[in-house]
Amino acid sequence: MTNYAQNLDLNPIADSVETQEPVLKTPRGEAGKTTLPQPGRPVPSRAYPGALIVVEGTDGSGKSTQLYLLKRWLEIGGYRLHFTEWNSSPLVKSATRRGKQKRLLTPTTFSLLHASDFADRCERQIMPLLQGDYLVLADRYVYTAFARDAARGCSHRWLRNLYRFAPVPDITFYFRAPLDVAVHRILSGRPKLKYYEAGMDLGLSYERAESFRLFQGRILEEYDKMVDTDNFVVLDGTLPVNKLQKQMRDIVASKIDLKRFAPGAPEAE
Amino acid sequence: MPDQDKEKSTPILLQSDGTPAPKSAAGPEESQHFYGEPLVGLDHTELNGNLIVIEGMDGSGRSTQIALLQEWLESEGFAVQTSGLRRSNLVGKDIDQLLAKNAVTRLTLALMYATDFFDQLEHRIVPALRSGAVVLADRFIFTLIARGVVRGINRDYLAGLYAMALRPNLTFWLNVRPETAFAREFKKAQAISYWEAGRDMSLSHDLYWSFVRYQTMIKREFEIMAKKNSFIELDGEASVSAVNKQLRQRIGEQLGIRLAKYTPSAALAHLWR
Repeated sequence: MTNYAQNLDLNPIADSVETQEPVLKTPRGEAGKTTLPQPGRPVPSRAYPGALIVVEGTDGSGKSTQLYLLKRWLEIGGYRLHFTEWNSSPLVKSATRRGKQKRLLTPTTFSLLHASDFADRCERQIMPLLQGDYLVLADRYVYTAFARDAARGCSHRWLRNLYRFAPVPDITFYFRAPLDVAVHRILSGRPKLKYYEAGMDLGLSYERAESFRLFQGRILEEYDKMVDTDNFVVLDGTLPVNKLQKQMRDIVASKIDLKRFAPGAPEAE
Repeated sequence: MPDQDKEKSTPILLQSDGTPAPKSAAGPEESQHFYGEPLVGLDHTELNGNLIVIEGMDGSGRSTQIALLQEWLESEGFAVQTSGLRRSNLVGKDIDQLLAKNAVTRLTLALMYATDFFDQLEHRIVPALRSGAVVLADRFIFTLIARGVVRGINRDYLAGLYAMALRPNLTFWLNVRPETAFAREFKKAQAISYWEAGRDMSLSHDLYWSFVRYQTMIKREFEIMAKKNSFIELDGEASVSAVNKQLRQRIGEQLGIRLAKYTPSAALAHLWR
């Protein structure tokens, strides 16, 4: 089983406070020990009935297009699903916007703000829906933070710990496109790159496009390192869209029991 | 992952009581200055100031003491910077709003507080220490860890989260009984807030008991951290002037200030009860 927490032993959420009565008598040693849903490990995918499908890849790798098409396929089929996107929680939005506009963010606070955003979506949508037997599709997941924040200089160990509350996906598609292809796709469609998007905070280059290229190169390296450790399903982002989508659908159909999420299928107990 | 693998898993950064792991786990040099690993891009040899932390529950007298200490230190010729929870430019106001709306879940809130902490560490505390100032921190990672732990977030997780926090030069813990704190807080605002009473934890429908239980749980976490983090525990129930004298004594030793008599200026005289 994929384990991106890399043996960092414990899921951070312990539910002893809620379950033990009376609270004042909670034995000290146990307050941090009991975990949800299974003690001693990151949340394994079988701890809830739902399924989690994730797409990852550098900007311009084609991942969002592919996830959109997968989502349309499942929606049209009437499957029970939820779609969630990186950096989209309304709770954290104003802080992120302010931080970016005023350039207040350091590698550490950039990472923590995105972790807050993810925690909010995880606690309020992803986990409850997985428990409620939904198919959850995520456009970018914790691996985006692992790649991007590590490229900014955050330590791998700290990042792995930070996100160890996140459920491990059933499938992680990694859309891999050569650096030049991905960078070209972005630069040709976008006249102006944003400051953090281009990695200008790293001081790699005064020129935005060049900074973006160097930053994306670092991110690509970080993604490549995770292919084996995190069980990525690698897809070739340079293939024609419809071919790629066919591969993606075949893999989803073979790895996930889609019938369970089909219209009329009873929800798991 | 089979069970026996758990035994020999990667060492967790910090031990469960918030203390640094043995030196083999963290670099020997890092561990003197940080709790586990260095802050990205920081050269700790540049830090010449002193970081002094005052911890203690609501109603323990922290803010009063900090106001007095700031005046005393400034009169002694030291530049003072302060920090405290929810005071960052980045997310301080956002956390206030989240708390007011009460729409936030525990892990998200813990991470927002961490963001707030590191923003102040990087933009307020570190620059002040670089310039040789004394930083008086009104609470530090210890409160944040305790609040998380009593809400069921794993200690090791929180310790890892704050692994890049700077180690204070001195950490004072103003210890008071929750009952005393309740009376003082109530007197201040004629009310006890939702969060101060830990009402998100459904400990009791009764406001008083909710407050006392919650603060007792927090206090217990502090007791665990106190030993390992060399807290200087002071009796927060003593008079303001008595507590202040003890604080000045220890801080004076740290900064090499000959202990002179101090009485607050007219502006702060009302605190000197």
